[in-house]
Parts: sequence; C-alpha cells; structure tokens
Amino acid sequence: MIVGVKDSLKLIGISAISFCAVLVCAMFLNYLIDVNLAADMAGAQAAALYKAQVLTAKVVVAVTGGCLGVAAMIMLFFYIKNYIDAHKNELGILKAMGYSNFRIALHFWSFGFGVFFGTALGFAISYAIMPEFYRAQTEGGALPELAIGFHAEVLAYTVIIPTVLFAVGAILYAAIKLSRPVIELIKDREKCSDKMCREKPDDKPFLVSLKRSVLSSKKTLVFFIMFASFCFSAMTQMSVSMDDYAGPMLMAMMMVIGLALAFLSMLIAVVSAVNGNAKTLAMLRVFGYSRTECCNAVLGGYRPFAYLGFAIGTAYQYGLLKIMVELVFKDFGVPELKFDYVVMLISLAAFILLYEGMIFVNVQRIKKISLKQIMAEN
Amino acid sequence: MIEIKDVVKRYGAGESCVEVLKGVSFNIEDGRFAVILGASGSGKSTLLNVASGLDKPDGGSVIYDGENISLYDDKQLTQFRKNKVGFIFQQYYLLPHLSVEQNVKLGADLAKNEDYKSIITAVGLGDKLRKRPSSLSGGEQQRVAIARALAKKPQVLFLDEPTGALDEQTGRQALDYICGLQKELGFTMIMVTHNRNIAEMADIVVCMNSGRISEIYQNQTVKSAYEIGW
Ligand SMILES: Nc1ncnc2c1ncn2[C@@H]1O[C@H](COP(=O)(O)OP(=O)(O)O)[C@@H](O)[C@H]1O
Ligand SMILES: [Mg+2]
Repeated sequence: MIVGVKDSLKLIGISAISFCAVLVCAMFLNYLIDVNLAADMAGAQAAALYKAQVLTAKVVVAVTGGCLGVAAMIMLFFYIKNYIDAHKNELGILKAMGYSNFRIALHFWSFGFGVFFGTALGFAISYAIMPEFYRAQTEGGALPELAIGFHAEVLAYTVIIPTVLFAVGAILYAAIKLSRPVIELIKDREKCSDKMCREKPDDKPFLVSLKRSVLSSKKTLVFFIMFASFCFSAMTQMSVSMDDYAGPMLMAMMMVIGLALAFLSMLIAVVSAVNGNAKTLAMLRVFGYSRTECCNAVLGGYRPFAYLGFAIGTAYQYGLLKIMVELVFKDFGVPELKFDYVVMLISLAAFILLYEGMIFVNVQRIKKISLKQIMAEN
Repeated sequence: MIEIKDVVKRYGAGESCVEVLKGVSFNIEDGRFAVILGASGSGKSTLLNVASGLDKPDGGSVIYDGENISLYDDKQLTQFRKNKVGFIFQQYYLLPHLSVEQNVKLGADLAKNEDYKSIITAVGLGDKLRKRPSSLSGGEQQRVAIARALAKKPQVLFLDEPTGALDEQTGRQALDYICGLQKELGFTMIMVTHNRNIAEMADIVVCMNSGRISEIYQNQTVKSAYEIGW
C-alpha cells in the first residue's frame, strides 16, 4: 500500500464534517419518508401540514447535505494535494519506474475511510436521537405522533454512496494531480513558470517580495483560508437568521454544525499555513530577522484573504436565505428577511478573535520548536 | 542501441532562457557501461533525464532500437519506462512505510518478477527483509534502491550520482554490487558522476563541459571498484 492507513486517519476534519452532515440529513430524510407515507393516508388538512414539513425537510437536507458535502470534498482535495506535495519524491519515483498515474492514484481510495467513519457514526447517532426529533416535529398536537421506520435507502444515501463517491473522487483527483512530468515530482526545484522567469528582479524590500512569493507558492492554502472564513461567516449568521423560519431545534443544530465546521477548517488552514512555512520562518530567524517581522512577512499575507472570505460568506448567507424565504416560505406569511447588522458585527468580532488567536497560538508553537528540529524534518 | 542525436535542452523563457544542452550526440551499444563525467552544473543530470525519457528535449532526438522516444506521449513514455528502464538516484526515494521487501516488490511487480528475493540477497540485505528504510544506514538504503531498480529487470539502468550521498567505503561497495550485477545480467548502464576515478570502471566515458561534449573515449581496460584508488 502506497498510502498508509495512518495517513487516511488524519482526515479527522473530513470525518467530523461528514458526521455532522449525516447526523442532520439522515434524520430529516428518514422523517421525510415517514411523513410522506403518513400524508398519503391522512385527511386533506393534515396532508397540507405534512406537505409543508416535507418541503422544509427537503430544503434542510439539500442545504446541509450540499454545503457540508462540498466542504468535505474541498477538504479532501486539500489533503490529497498536501499529501502529494509532501511525498512527491516517492510518488515521482514510482512514476519513473513505469507505474501509470492511475495505478498510483488507485491507492488513494483509502482516503474514503475518513468519510466512512464520519458518516457511519453520524448515521448511528442520528437514529439514537431520532425519537426526540420526531416528538419535536409533531409537537403542538396538530399532527399525530409518527412511528420511526427504518429505511435502507437512507443508509445508502447517507453512508454508502458518499463513501464510494469520496473514494472515487480521491482516486480521480490524485490521478489529475499526478499527471505532471516525472521530473517535476522527483526534483525539488519548483517549476519556474514563464511569468516568474520573465519577471524582472524587483527592488522591493526582501520581506515584501517574500510575502508575495509565499502567497503564490501556496495558492491552495490561500483558497482554503478563504473557504474557512467563508464557512464561519455564513454558518454563524445563517443559523441566527434562520431562527424565525425553522424553529429553535434546527437553529441550534445549524449553529453547532456551523461552528464545528468553521472551527475545524480554520484550525486546519491556520495550522497548515504555519507548518507549511515553518522552514521559511526558521530560515529568516537564522538570518537575524525579528520574530514579528518573520510572522508578518510569512503569515500576514493571508489576512486580507481571510477577511475577504468572511465578507463573501456574509453576502452568500444573506442571498441564500433571501431566495429561500421568497421561494419556500412565501405562502406561509413569514416576515420579510432583513439584513442583520448586529449579528454580522458579533460574528465578525468572534471571527477576528478566532483567526488572530489561532495565528498567535500557532506562532507561539513554532517559536518553541528549535531551529534544528525544523530543518531536520526534511 | 541508444542514439542521442543533437539534443538541445533549454530552461526558462525569454531573457532568462538558458541552453543547458547545446547539441549533444553520442551512441551507446547494448550491454555497455557508460559514464557521463563533468563538473557540477555542466548539464549531466539534464542529459541523463532526457536520455532516459524522464524529460523531453527541446531539439534533437533520443532513439532506442530505432524508436524515437522524444516523440512519445505521456502514455507511451510510461509504458517505455515500465518495460525498458530503471533508475537509481543520489537520494534513495524509498517508500518510508514499506519494508525493504515491499519496496523491492514495487519494482518486481512491474516486470512480474517472482524471484526478487534473490536480488535482495545479492545486494547483501537478505537478513533485513522486514526492516523499514528508516532503520537502515545510508549505504543499505541505497542497496535497497539498487535492488528495486534491478528487480524490474531493466534493459537500461540510469544512475545519477548513485554514490553521492555515501562515504568512500560504502560507495565503493555499492558500485561493486551494481557493476557485478551489470556484468552478470548484461544490461546497459549509464551513470552520471563528477568523480574521475569512477570513470575508469566504465567502457565508455562521455565528458561534459557547459552543455557540450568535450571528449568521448573508450577505456581499453576496465577497472573494478577496488582498483580505482578512489
Ligand atoms: N528545472 C530547471 N530550471 C532551470 N534551470 C535548471 C533546471 N534544471 C537544471 N537547471 C540548470 O541547468 C544546469 C545544468 O544542471 P544539471 O544538469 O543538474 O547539472 P549537473 O547534473 O551536471 O550538475 C545548471 O546550471 C542548472 O542550474
Ligand atoms: Mg546532477
């Protein structure tokens, strides 16, 4: 096995996200099926109420499943890219020996394990708390209590299909990432792009040009940090705004999932940003630059992107909710959606605290590692 | 027979473009041991990479038994590497979480070679089959890389400074293993080095200087790793 099981166990972030997604989706899917069955047998009045619940359930499943699924997939690709970058010499030698991209990539199926753990656990927990959920849904007495039925297709949709999909996705993505010239993988020399070669040596201060090159050499990381901030901003604000439309249980769930997702992806992003630049940080210190200068030069570049991600997330959640309110709830006489500045400011404050705090903690961590340790790692 | 014809290789573009190989030509008969000799930066590795199909030339051609591999696409090159060539580099590039045996098996699988254990024994690692690379010395790791390359039964073996990371004694031992197996199995071997003494072990010596061949000569008598006085 080229990719060890240990490597796939590092996908704890993906497991956590798929856990959250399945926890919600399995519950709502199961409910959706049971409600649909009940609606067929109910009278006209109850049927209308059931239909509304089915609609809500569908939206919830689509939004949570879709968002978290995309988030998990992006995280998976990020992991695979990092894995290939970290092991490019060994993977390159396999290619040099004559293994085809696809044959090497096949070993990446084990990255599907991370998803399997998360979804299976999510599915189990989901059934455990389902009675509580069913009771909450039929509260108020307008509808009779529903019996929980076990539906095999829910298991297929939430555990089996996602696991297979992610394993296949991992293989395909790895195959794409591996399809570059062998020599690029084996040699540690970065490929000098035409643009970089043509660029004149600039006369900007060293730290400024360093900041630029750090950013352009780790583009996925920039994207990932932006994505994490996006999740944080969208999920926290959305869960609060949803309160009027979806009820407290759903809001609490969204909030917890949103925070977990945002926290995890932020953590992964910041840790990778600091780790990925550990060597540069160490080198700079050897040359006598101060710690503040180092950290600003290497990590400061990510900051604008983090805040940009936050801004996009804010706009996204407002837009999405607006569309949802207008399409789904228009017949139910719910109040019009207004942009909530207070929530936005609170969320922004929390974000600043979280982001800057994480950078700070991680930089402290790097400071503690001795230079020798960092340099010896490769 | 390998024919290298007017090979040109450039790096970079525009003003910063450098020509690293400036029209290199030579032939190597099957079963021969050729050394590419030259100072650091003279283009030896680049030449080896182009000659072995790891990299494409910007001009000229690389011909194996009448087939021009510089025209191959990625798929054909993969097939070519699988069936024809083996590599040993200065860095060993072993897969860290696989045992010695599994690392060698990676090469053997490609050639459907069931008898790879004898090669591990031949390089003197018969008692270390289950060890991880990290628990081996540099010389032992390089021998695993040698076994992995040979288990593939290559027709041509390419080596880029294979002893560069080893001390004199272990380096000589590794060379001795490789050369012994080359004579025994009769494959073609092309080795890059900057060490003049190693050149005395080869049949043919190709001297590189700033991207050109400055001299090619054949050794009348070939010395063993222990005679070269390195
Ligand atoms: N990928 C690359 N991009 C730009 N220049 C390169 C690249 N690879 C090698 N070179 C340059 O080509 C020249 C020859 O390199 P190389 O073939 O590795 O030399 P040798 O192996 O003889 O030491 C060197 O000057 C090196 O800087
Ligand atoms: Mg070299």
